[in-house]
Amino acid sequence: MAYKPQYYPGNTSVAKNRRKHMAGDLEKMRDISDEDLTAILGHRAPGSDFPSTHPPLAEMGEPDCPVREVVEPTPGAAAGDRMRYVQFADSMYNAPAVPYWRSYHAAINYRGVDPGTLSGRQVNEMRERDLEEFSKDVCQTEITDWGLAGMRGCTVHGHSLRLQEDGTMFDMLDRRRLEGGVMVMDKDQVGVPIDRKVNLGKPMTESEAAKRTTFYRIDNVSFRSDKEVIEHVQRVWELRTKYGFVPKA
Amino acid sequence: MVRTATVTDRLKNVRIFPQRLLQPETAEKLLNELDQVKGVVRMLISGKNLPRKITCGPGTGKDVNHPDRIIIHVSGCAFELHVIVGEVLVEVENESVVDELKKACERALPFPFEMKRGYFIKSKPTLTDYGKYGFKSKTDETINLEDERLLGLIDPHAKVEPNLCMIKAEGL
Repeated sequence: MAYKPQYYPGNTSVAKNRRKHMAGDLEKMRDISDEDLTAILGHRAPGSDFPSTHPPLAEMGEPDCPVREVVEPTPGAAAGDRMRYVQFADSMYNAPAVPYWRSYHAAINYRGVDPGTLSGRQVNEMRERDLEEFSKDVCQTEITDWGLAGMRGCTVHGHSLRLQEDGTMFDMLDRRRLEGGVMVMDKDQVGVPIDRKVNLGKPMTESEAAKRTTFYRIDNVSFRSDKEVIEHVQRVWELRTKYGFVPKA
Repeated sequence: MVRTATVTDRLKNVRIFPQRLLQPETAEKLLNELDQVKGVVRMLISGKNLPRKITCGPGTGKDVNHPDRIIIHVSGCAFELHVIVGEVLVEVENESVVDELKKACERALPFPFEMKRGYFIKSKPTLTDYGKYGFKSKTDETINLEDERLLGLIDPHAKVEPNLCMIKAEGL
C-alpha cells in the first residue's frame, strides 16, 4: 500500500478540511481566465511578456554545484522572472482558509514559494509565472470564497470585522463587491482600477461556508469538540517544553 | 471666585451594536428612527473608515469611490457618511427612553443587535479640548464652548463641519 501522509488529526469537518487544504485536494468552484487573473494581480499588463530580472538560467552558465544539479528550477526561475507576490485576507466568519492553512497549502504543494503568515492575511512570494499558476489554483478552488476572502496587496482590513449586510467581508478600497448575486472585481489587488470587471463567481452561502471552513468557531465546530486535535496539540506543546528544557546547557 | 472646571451632569449612554456592518440605507433608517424617540440628546456613529483616496501602497492617491460613502438624510439634515456604520452611541435623558430605543432598533434593523447601557461618550473636557477651545475668561476657567454637548462628538483635532450634524438647532 502506498504511503499516504496524514497531515492533521481530527474527525470534525474542520479537521477534514484542513487535511484537504494541506494535501492540495481542492474542489474547483469557478473559472477565471488567465487574462483576468493577470489583471487583478496587477503586476504586468495582460498579454504582455514576463519582465525578467536575469537572463534564463540555461544562458547564464551556472557554476558547478551538486545542489543545482539535483534541484530542477521552477519555470519562473529558469526563465529569470521577477519575484512577485499575492496576498489574501480571510474573514474569521467561516472563510474557507485560515492564514496558516494558506501557508501550509502553498509550502507543501508548490515549489519556490515563500509564504508569509500574519494574523489576518497571508502573502506568498514567488517567480512571476509560478505565481500566476499558483494564484489561478487558489482563486478557482474552494480555498477561496470571494465573499469571505479578498485578494488584497495593501489595506487588508476586514479579517476580524463583522460582515456587511450582504454577507460579504468589508473592503475599504472596494476592490470587489457583490453585484447581481456574483462577486465582481474591477480593481487590482492594490486598489488601482483595471479595464474590466472580473467575474469571481457566486459567494458561498452561510451554510456552505460553515461546511467548508478551516476555522474552529464556538458557533460552528468548536476546537474543544475535537478530542484528537486537543490530544495532538497538547502533545506538541508538551514535547516542545521538554525538549527546550536542557539543564546542562 | 474663579471657576476651575466645567461641571456637567452625566447622562446615560446606550451603545447599539448591530450584528452586521450597516449599509447606508439601513444606517439612515436607523438614525431616523432613533431621532424620533423623545429624550435622545445626541448620537455618535462610528465604524470603519471609507477613505476618499488610497493612502498607502502603489495605488496611493487614486480615488476609491466607495459606493457606501454617500450622503444620507437624518431628520432633514444631510451629511456624507465617512464610515461604514458599525455602532451607534446614543445619549438619553433618562432610563425610560431605553425601551423606546430598543423598539426603534427593532423597526430599523433586519438582524439582531446588542444594546448596552453605560457611559461611552466623553462628558468632561480634556486637556486637548481646553487647548482647542480655551477658557471662557480669566475668572471663569470653564471651557469656552457655547454648547458643551459638542464635547466627545468629534475628535478635538478634526474639523467640525463635515463631522457634526446639528438637528433642530433652533431648539437647542
